[in-house]
Amino acid sequence: MKNNIIILGGGQAGIYAAREIRQNDTESNIKILGEENLLPYERPPLSKDFLLNKKNEDDLYFHSSDVLKNENIDFENISISKVDFENKKLFSKNEDIYTYDSLLISTGSDNKRLSLDNNLNDDVYYLRNLEEAKTIKEKVSDKNKITIIGGGFIGLEIASSLSQLEKKVTVIEIGNQLMGRIIPKQIADLVQKTHLENGNKIILNKQIDKITKKNGIYEILLSDNSLIQTDFIIAGIGSAPSVKLFENTNLKLDNGIITNQFCETSIKDVYAAGDVCNFYHPFYERNMRLESYQHAQNHGICAGKNIAGVKTEYNSIPWMWSDQFNLNLQLTGICDDYDEIIERGNDINNGVIYFFLKNKKIRGACGVGIMGKVGRDIRITSKLTEKNTIVDKQILSDQNQKLNKLIQK
Amino acid sequence: MYLFSQNRYYIHHMSEENWIEVGSTNSIEEEDLIRFDHQDKTFCVYRLTDGFYATDGICTHEAVHLEDGLVMDDEIECPMHQGIFNIKSGEALSPPACEDLKTYPVKVDNDKIFIKID
Repeated sequence: MKNNIIILGGGQAGIYAAREIRQNDTESNIKILGEENLLPYERPPLSKDFLLNKKNEDDLYFHSSDVLKNENIDFENISISKVDFENKKLFSKNEDIYTYDSLLISTGSDNKRLSLDNNLNDDVYYLRNLEEAKTIKEKVSDKNKITIIGGGFIGLEIASSLSQLEKKVTVIEIGNQLMGRIIPKQIADLVQKTHLENGNKIILNKQIDKITKKNGIYEILLSDNSLIQTDFIIAGIGSAPSVKLFENTNLKLDNGIITNQFCETSIKDVYAAGDVCNFYHPFYERNMRLESYQHAQNHGICAGKNIAGVKTEYNSIPWMWSDQFNLNLQLTGICDDYDEIIERGNDINNGVIYFFLKNKKIRGACGVGIMGKVGRDIRITSKLTEKNTIVDKQILSDQNQKLNKLIQK
Repeated sequence: MYLFSQNRYYIHHMSEENWIEVGSTNSIEEEDLIRFDHQDKTFCVYRLTDGFYATDGICTHEAVHLEDGLVMDDEIECPMHQGIFNIKSGEALSPPACEDLKTYPVKVDNDKIFIKID
């Protein structure tokens, strides 16, 4: 049957869903509505290789316009301002109407913003999209002292890149460790050490009390009354799901759009995928919201299958990475629900991994090492987690023993 | 280097048609790989269930050595961002890798592995 399928949100989840639908359904109309006037592109390089001029804009696109044309997938740059779920219609600001039979919401997430009580809100820069990355790259070129508010992945990746561009970088974090939302302190401390060794200044446990501007220089007053002078301010203080459009509708929201394991929302024929979802994960038997490359891709693919009528459960073990200086940090699974921690390795040159076990089974692991040194073990760990393997702790803790011994074939 | 236990000072030798000796067949465990550096290039040589294969040693996505990656069946997965390549064809199977990996012919002669470099 020929349906009108609309994908609201032109990011990674959206494009992977579109192509997956087409794989399973050659007849239906597929249209992606994107707020940015750009084909879907990769975001991870924006804070790293793009700032460092190792990758340019053309390197970022997932697919060329030819691929979309060949697969008969429409992409339209439009901002939707109203949704009528009852009559299955979307409205643009110009009152253009888009009617759907099935809708996928993949609107992603938005940066949280600092709320400053003076008129300096526009003086603080954020990085989520290509335009913002371009602006930061251009603006920092003639600046020296850069302050980054927020010691999460994005802030630290920018701190690493700007340090490599010979900037004097200070990172201010409100918590008592870096990347505190999901990364274990043991790993965060190793990453912090690398930042310090490369000349970055890290300030923990401090809030911003006030920011003022004098003769083009900013003064940041911290909660302990210390003062930081800086030429440029970037904030990376987390994100929130992009759900403003749905706030006064029947769509069930709670830290994102609530979906089941089939990417179905509370409204029939409306699906959601990626950062915007608070989805049910059958393996962990709980809801979660993830912001990662692997999740955006796989959740999009899963939604695509379900929209095309191929009933598919989303059971992917979470995985994410961050690259800072010459380090590659990786996380698999969930590291906040455990009864035992096992350490593997103690030298960052060979990689250090912490495994989080519950009832002798791995629930998650986090590792960091010189580029490439933890990837294989983390990947095997994902497989061990997925298969609910009871693991030999002696092998886990001994870096001389290969982890693939633990995989039951 | 552990590859050349019989003569540790012997690096490799060039024979006819640019076949370069990599090492002995027992230097690679099954479903595993070794890194092989020749001049200024890095290769990966794999032992799969049905024989030996060779590819470029650096991921096409970002400059990281595939020697630390995971070999599963006929695939090598990059240790940094989980891009996956087919070892036999070099085809990029999973993003973020999108550019194929170059492959090289391999032959085994008297328990020694050779790869043909152009």
